[in-house]
Amino acid sequence: MTRVIGSRLLSTALVLFGVSLVVFLLLQLVPGDPAVTILGSGATATAVAELRSQLGLDRALPIQFFDYLGGLLRGDLGRSLTVNAPVTDIMVPRFVNTMILTGAALLLCIVIAVPLGVIAAHKQYSVFDRMSMVISLAGASVPVYWFGLLLIGVFAITLGWLPTSGMYDPRFPGGIGDLLAHLVLPAVAAALVPLAVIARMTRSVMIDILAQDYIRTLRASGLSTSSVLWRHALRNALPPIVNITGLQVGYLLGGVVFVEVVFGWPGLGQQLYTSITQRDIPVVQAGVLFIALAFVIINLLADMAVRLLDPRTRRAAGV
Amino acid sequence: MVQVPSSLRRNGLRAFSLLAVVVLVVAALAGCSRGPVRTGNVFVIAIESEADVLDPQVAGGWVSWRINRQMFEPLVDEDLSIPSSDARVPPLRPGLAESWDISPDGLDYTFHIRRNVRFHDGTPLDAQAVEYNIRRMWDKGSPMYSARAAGQTNFVWKFLDSVTTVDDHTVKLHLKQPFSEFLRMLSQGGNGSTAIMSPTALKKYGEDIGDHPVGTGPFMFKQRIRGERIDLVRNPDYWGPKPQIDGVVFRPLPDASARTAALRSGDVDMIAVPNPDSIDNLVAEGYQLSEGIPPHTWYLSFNMRNEFTSIPQVRKAINLAVDREGMAKDMLRGSVTPAYGVQALSAGGYVERRDAFERNLDEARKLLASVGLQNGFDTTLITSTDGSGQIMPAQMAEFLQQNLAAIGIRVKIQTQEWISYLGVWARGMADDVGMAQMSWGMTSPYWLYIATSSDLQAPNGPNVGYYSNPKLDAAMNHAITALDPAEAERWWRTANDIVTDDAALAPIVNDKAPYVLAPYVKGFVSASEEWYDLTTVRLEQ
Repeated sequence: MTRVIGSRLLSTALVLFGVSLVVFLLLQLVPGDPAVTILGSGATATAVAELRSQLGLDRALPIQFFDYLGGLLRGDLGRSLTVNAPVTDIMVPRFVNTMILTGAALLLCIVIAVPLGVIAAHKQYSVFDRMSMVISLAGASVPVYWFGLLLIGVFAITLGWLPTSGMYDPRFPGGIGDLLAHLVLPAVAAALVPLAVIARMTRSVMIDILAQDYIRTLRASGLSTSSVLWRHALRNALPPIVNITGLQVGYLLGGVVFVEVVFGWPGLGQQLYTSITQRDIPVVQAGVLFIALAFVIINLLADMAVRLLDPRTRRAAGV
Repeated sequence: MVQVPSSLRRNGLRAFSLLAVVVLVVAALAGCSRGPVRTGNVFVIAIESEADVLDPQVAGGWVSWRINRQMFEPLVDEDLSIPSSDARVPPLRPGLAESWDISPDGLDYTFHIRRNVRFHDGTPLDAQAVEYNIRRMWDKGSPMYSARAAGQTNFVWKFLDSVTTVDDHTVKLHLKQPFSEFLRMLSQGGNGSTAIMSPTALKKYGEDIGDHPVGTGPFMFKQRIRGERIDLVRNPDYWGPKPQIDGVVFRPLPDASARTAALRSGDVDMIAVPNPDSIDNLVAEGYQLSEGIPPHTWYLSFNMRNEFTSIPQVRKAINLAVDREGMAKDMLRGSVTPAYGVQALSAGGYVERRDAFERNLDEARKLLASVGLQNGFDTTLITSTDGSGQIMPAQMAEFLQQNLAAIGIRVKIQTQEWISYLGVWARGMADDVGMAQMSWGMTSPYWLYIATSSDLQAPNGPNVGYYSNPKLDAAMNHAITALDPAEAERWWRTANDIVTDDAALAPIVNDKAPYVLAPYVKGFVSASEEWYDLTTVRLEQ
């Protein structure tokens, strides 16, 4: 197990290096100059040149990249070009906000999608099955942006139950209650697509398992249906469900940007969008690194969970 | 086939009813906090994008200055308590300088700094503080110099020769040549502002000053949560008329629909840049619309190195073919006004020239025929797809494309996302590009110099069409160096006429900078600027 974790961490480091190199090169290819961006339409050539040199943009590309990499190893993510503040100060709170939203959405997904899939599999081809699968297919196809606006229209404006945007009330910012009230709608909107994917995955895995001989044996030995379904069948279905859920976290991290824009949620996606349009390379680098890191770690955790859940994978790997 | 036992059906139903109850309880709890809007005398504004840096000299965008302006003040200010309808150009008024003397040769400006004013951190405002700030923006050899601040304010300090502290409350600026627009530029700024910051804070926070803004203005910085809010509170010791609201919250909501929703639900009291399609509905629901005439022109520069647009008759024909009225009324639903002058209406020296800018297709065709182009030609127009103050650039470019097709000019539109476009635009037009679009302006007619002077041809400056006209340069030089304001104004009017007669630019529309406010907000004024004063705002419930 330790060896597996060790090699995975090593490959993580390689992945992160690759990611930062690719992002760095990609941003060089895109037209646009941070110095011109900062100085705006009234910029003169002299002012631009002076600012470029102050920002270190006039140095050779490899030097810029390795300088950045050196800083990274020391835990220094550099300074934002446009906002003129340490990248860590900008990105860490954003990352936490995105994790709060992603975590809430993931919780919703698991709590709703897994039972939904299990029941749908159990009652295959029933009205419930067809209804829930049609709804989840629709859920996976609905544009998140539109769905978010719909939620705002119904629950925030018409019914007035929940706030429209942000993380806290602008006038009377409160504690956890205020945060939860602001979290409900964005979490529902963000959960929509992964929820549908996980529900459909759960259903198809469960259908396979329910058709196997040992299920019939369990039934024949007089176990109650709920015990067969929830204790035995679901447990065997869990490894692929956990795997797909881990992958959905990646989708959530990258995909919440629309949700963040519609609901004014101050997360990583929103900041990343702004920074990309401004060619704020250090911020974009940090954002992509955070997402890559979170994705790799969560999938590592998912793999570990699968190993714990399924003795067969442990034996196969010889650990 | 597996049988469906009823126990499971019950389990499933139970799980779902439990979930439904949880959702309802959460919703109900959250709902408790809402009722009629309670403002707590704090004014909440939904702004169109996140502000960059709360350092007025370094921040370039209008969005940031709208916030910084509430905390910081320049030496000379514009009076924004008068709506555009009563003052086309906002009058100048003393800011942190109580008064000033100008030497008869126009070279020495002596500013008498307001007494008994303190920065929000308690530092007294004095001549040394002012000198410190000016050196930060201008004096390359000084330790406090900032290349960013200099780049954003270079047009203000262009002719500055020296700055001297005469005594605790007197600062003398010596110019290399007379600069008739100096006071206006001090108040209006270049891209950035010349507002005065606490030297103590500048020394203490260095590079991080943007997170600790300390000025002298009517509001003080309280906190900033990036992407979520910037909170300001009333400055109880403000030297001028104190604000009537206890504080103001700027909330960035980049999505126009999200802003409208936030206003309707009572989460915010005012929204910037409403979607033109939603304005009528909001007004019908009782919300207030506030508009002004900020110095904000959406215009085209012609390329003097292009084989077609280098011909004056072609440029004039294009100007006469554009249906400004139709774009303003039909396409943009009255959220802009047609532009009949090369500068914004709120700029000094404005000249209205309907003869050159009102649609006249016959005349346009005649002009094209006079240079043998009766069959038209192919050309390219570059613009952005989005961007600060750009309104709806791609759709507007398509509208122009149709207008020009009427006189046989076949326009190809090339668009780029805003930041890329800004970079391409600043480099100047390539030879095969005929026109480049941009939108900005200033209350100072000096803007015309920035956009058309031969000194500032791209990539050296914003004259992206390489326009060069010795007659114009001479007129603008007279205007810049004139000692008598009336004479300067006359020269600016002449310069406007030269640019119009030679059709160096094609002004299209002027933005009205609409804001939509909740019914209980009183005292908000849309003056002729891109920004606003919040000291007069009241929340009446």
